Amino acid sequence: MALPLTYNYRNVLVRWRASLATVIGIALVVAVFVLVQSLAVGLEKSAGNTGDPRNLMIVRKGSTAESTSVVTIQQFQILRYWPQIARDESGQPLISADLLCLISQPRIDGTGEANVSVRGLTARGRALRPQVELMAGRWFAPGKREVAVSQKLARRFAHFHAGNAFRTGGHTLTVVGEFDGGNSAFDSEVWMDADEARSLFNREGYSSLLVRATSPEAGREIVARIEADQRLPLLAGPEVKYYGEQTATAGPIKLLGNFLAIAMSIGAVFAAMNTMYASVGSRTREIGALRVLGFRRRTILAAFIVEGALLAAVGGLLGCLLALPLHGVSTGALSLNSFSETVFEFRITPWLAAKGMIFAVVVGVFGSLLPAIRAARLPVITALKSA
Amino acid sequence: MTLATFILKNALRNQRRALLSISSVAVSLFLLVTLQVALRELTLPPASAGAELRVAVRNKISITTMLPARQRGVIEKIPGVAAVSPFTLFWGKFRNEEGLSFAQIAMDPTKLQSLFGEARMDAVSYTRFAATKDACVLGKITADKYHLNIGDLITLESTVFPGSLSFHIAGIYSGTPDDRNMLFRQDYLDESIGQPGYVGMWWLKVKSAADMAPVVKAINAGFENTSAEVRAESERNFQLSFMSMLGNIKTLIASLCAVVVFTLVLVSASTMSMAVRERFRELAILKALGFRRRELFAFILAESFGLAAAGAIVGIGGTWLLYSHTAALAVILALTTAAFFILAVRHVLRKEYLPLTIYLVSALILADWTAWFAAHPSVLAMTRGVFISFEVTPRIMGCTALVAALLGIVCAVAPALSVARMSVVNGLKTLD
Amino acid sequence: MAEPIVQIRELTKIYAQGEIQVTALDRISLDIAAGEFLALMGPSGSGKSTLLHIIAGVDRPTRGACLVQGVNVTRLNESELADWRNHNVGFIFQTFNLIPVLTAAENVELPLLLTRMGRAHRRRQVETALELVGLADRARHLPRQLSGGQEQRVAIARALVTDPALIVADEPTGNLDSHSAHEVLGVLQSLRQDAGKTIILVTHDPKAAAFGTRQIHLEKGELKE
Repeated sequence: MALPLTYNYRNVLVRWRASLATVIGIALVVAVFVLVQSLAVGLEKSAGNTGDPRNLMIVRKGSTAESTSVVTIQQFQILRYWPQIARDESGQPLISADLLCLISQPRIDGTGEANVSVRGLTARGRALRPQVELMAGRWFAPGKREVAVSQKLARRFAHFHAGNAFRTGGHTLTVVGEFDGGNSAFDSEVWMDADEARSLFNREGYSSLLVRATSPEAGREIVARIEADQRLPLLAGPEVKYYGEQTATAGPIKLLGNFLAIAMSIGAVFAAMNTMYASVGSRTREIGALRVLGFRRRTILAAFIVEGALLAAVGGLLGCLLALPLHGVSTGALSLNSFSETVFEFRITPWLAAKGMIFAVVVGVFGSLLPAIRAARLPVITALKSA
Repeated sequence: MTLATFILKNALRNQRRALLSISSVAVSLFLLVTLQVALRELTLPPASAGAELRVAVRNKISITTMLPARQRGVIEKIPGVAAVSPFTLFWGKFRNEEGLSFAQIAMDPTKLQSLFGEARMDAVSYTRFAATKDACVLGKITADKYHLNIGDLITLESTVFPGSLSFHIAGIYSGTPDDRNMLFRQDYLDESIGQPGYVGMWWLKVKSAADMAPVVKAINAGFENTSAEVRAESERNFQLSFMSMLGNIKTLIASLCAVVVFTLVLVSASTMSMAVRERFRELAILKALGFRRRELFAFILAESFGLAAAGAIVGIGGTWLLYSHTAALAVILALTTAAFFILAVRHVLRKEYLPLTIYLVSALILADWTAWFAAHPSVLAMTRGVFISFEVTPRIMGCTALVAALLGIVCAVAPALSVARMSVVNGLKTLD
Repeated sequence: MAEPIVQIRELTKIYAQGEIQVTALDRISLDIAAGEFLALMGPSGSGKSTLLHIIAGVDRPTRGACLVQGVNVTRLNESELADWRNHNVGFIFQTFNLIPVLTAAENVELPLLLTRMGRAHRRRQVETALELVGLADRARHLPRQLSGGQEQRVAIARALVTDPALIVADEPTGNLDSHSAHEVLGVLQSLRQDAGKTIILVTHDPKAAAFGTRQIHLEKGELKE
């Protein structure tokens, strides 16, 4: 029968000073792992959270991003009155033609300039995106050089709060309102009127179209119809799918996270090993006594592995706690999809925390494996006689 | 036996502990060097030979907004300008690959040599490039990666222009910091799927360093209050502004370094204390024999320093090998793998299953790593194209060695204090 | 006379120390009757601890046999020995060897964890054992809160708790002052007298040996009665 768990956890407690360094070491490894991965998770969540399942995004065939896609005014006119497109209360088709541009603006903390996404929307643009809410000021008026900025973006850039004005392309734009994007890609955008944007940035056409289908069936019809029509070099797909795929930046972040985790955990394993060897070394007579009493080798082995795992679990828990304060904190990074500054949050999901804990326990088990084997293989006599 | 051998024997008495300590120091220092090198790559644009004399001009709105082609005439007339070329990014997909592994840039072929003098290519290739409409010039790294040769036809599907274009490779260049790019002709782009009348950027070379500032100023002023205001800056500043787009990266990496160092110190210090505590009796005996406190300190310091130094050699040396001489590292790993396999076999014969398993598992892991390094013999391959190379500069090695030295000293402090306070009698009593 | 509880025949133990072969025990033959309090004496290196270890199933001889209650312990494998020790032998060490993080009661309970006894039953056994050694009021104390003599008595309780027929003690009073030593030896004596246990005591102290019913001397691995 196994040794009681109290034996293990009391030993961990009693040797707390020697174990402290290892516990903190493992905690730091887990914290770094969880934090870096939570960046990737935050990015993916924000991307996955964008869009309305009823909407279809239409871009030029072959474009990988809205900002490089071109949809002509003629194409817009052709699609506008298709029967599969839903109508709003006033009978107007729920379709928006958007223009995506990048402008270079100075950051508020003085670290230089970054690209910011500007989206010009036509009349129905806001109605198609109910997840976006106005938080301060008012929406831009059509025909005016006015913009509304995402609150999260406003905090990171100079001149982006309601009441400010900034210059781009030789013109001045006034910020009249701030909105909340609902933790989606829209949190990284500046919105204005599409036709004003076209004149400002000297563009002939639009970047993309967003439509609300009358039903999922109608949506599929739209996609098929566009696919079949040779005159329309466009590609249609669900809006959520489009944004869901804009997670190229998550890749390098995950790579970094995994590399750091592996490298740091090797060090942690060595540290755990050292601690456990010392623990075994100072308890040889105790081990001998247990063996004499009749406890098996494998019981001793299990006991030390459990102790190592327990130690590491404490470290893992501490690591998650260390990372927790950053949950929900907003940060910005260069998106490799849109090539502009994307705002997203650190997101520590329960699953991520669990991964961190599992990781810690694995480190603990690996670290205590060899010392535990040593403890189990101690010849009883030697153990009894040792000084 | 000299004092030095005595210290050495002591340090190696518990070989396993010494090995673990050295390994943990080595791994942490390896990580530290890697982080510093990556940071350096990200924040220090590679200075190429001609960079001091080149100017980048982009639309003031953002780099993604085009510039009118007619601006060229104005720029060419500015005194101090030696050569001007358009620079338009094609963003083409090659062979249906997911991402882009090399940039494709449309330019004026006749200005290639004057703008990028540091590139080395056959004289014939330059002529071919200027003579054939659909010609392109490819960097050696990309050519090698896809096994392309002069005369081959490549097709790229643009993600920013509507459609695809095919090109014939007229030449292969090398000698620049980034030998991955493909250069083709702006007029070819204009005639097919491009936007005639518009270019992405202007790149120009000034006649001398003294001309740089006035030229930049003239260009910026020259297009003020037009429909396409520009930002002209030296190539260096242009690259730096790119870096600033990366934003928090510096802070992130710096914090990671701090965390790594802290963990390292913590863990090593505790290991060192453990080692010393076990040897109190011995130190007490030495004290009884007449060794003075400062000599005992010296022993502790020497051991602590020695372990840190050994760890530094393995860790820093390891990064140097890994990043600059990956092939050599692969060979060393292969030899170690073979050695482990042989040891494993020896234990099979002796029927000692535990050491057998350990050696076998270690050998398998090492074999896996060796194969991976053999398949990815460069930083470019290892980071999947994110970084071209990791240069482990003497400065970085020096900084890290300093950290190791400080580690050696800090880890000796706590044990030294305990030894200082220990009385001989108590020390001798620690014999259980 | 009833069959002896321990029968040793031609027991030999040779071990290698580096390149030298050391003969710890040289063809020892011995019978120990049930209910005896045997004192094994001899100078250091005489092999008395080795003999004790073999009887208790903690070590194996090079040649020869040792039967305890009819069971040839030299023939049992590792697993069987562990079980056998648990049920049939109580071991007391010179250095007490209590688990520092467990209380006195938990230490005494340890051997019972290897049996199928239920929790309530185990608790009763522990209480009984502790009462027998007079430490029932110290059940919740940790070893570091006990004096040397008390620790050794807890160790005795632990040795008793599975109700083994044989109790072996290896220099149990070596680390105790004379008062505690006297106490401990008295407890051992009463175990023999009141509970009928067979006690084998290894010691180099003639005063301790005097507590026994029989004394045997070992010198360089050979018996001298």
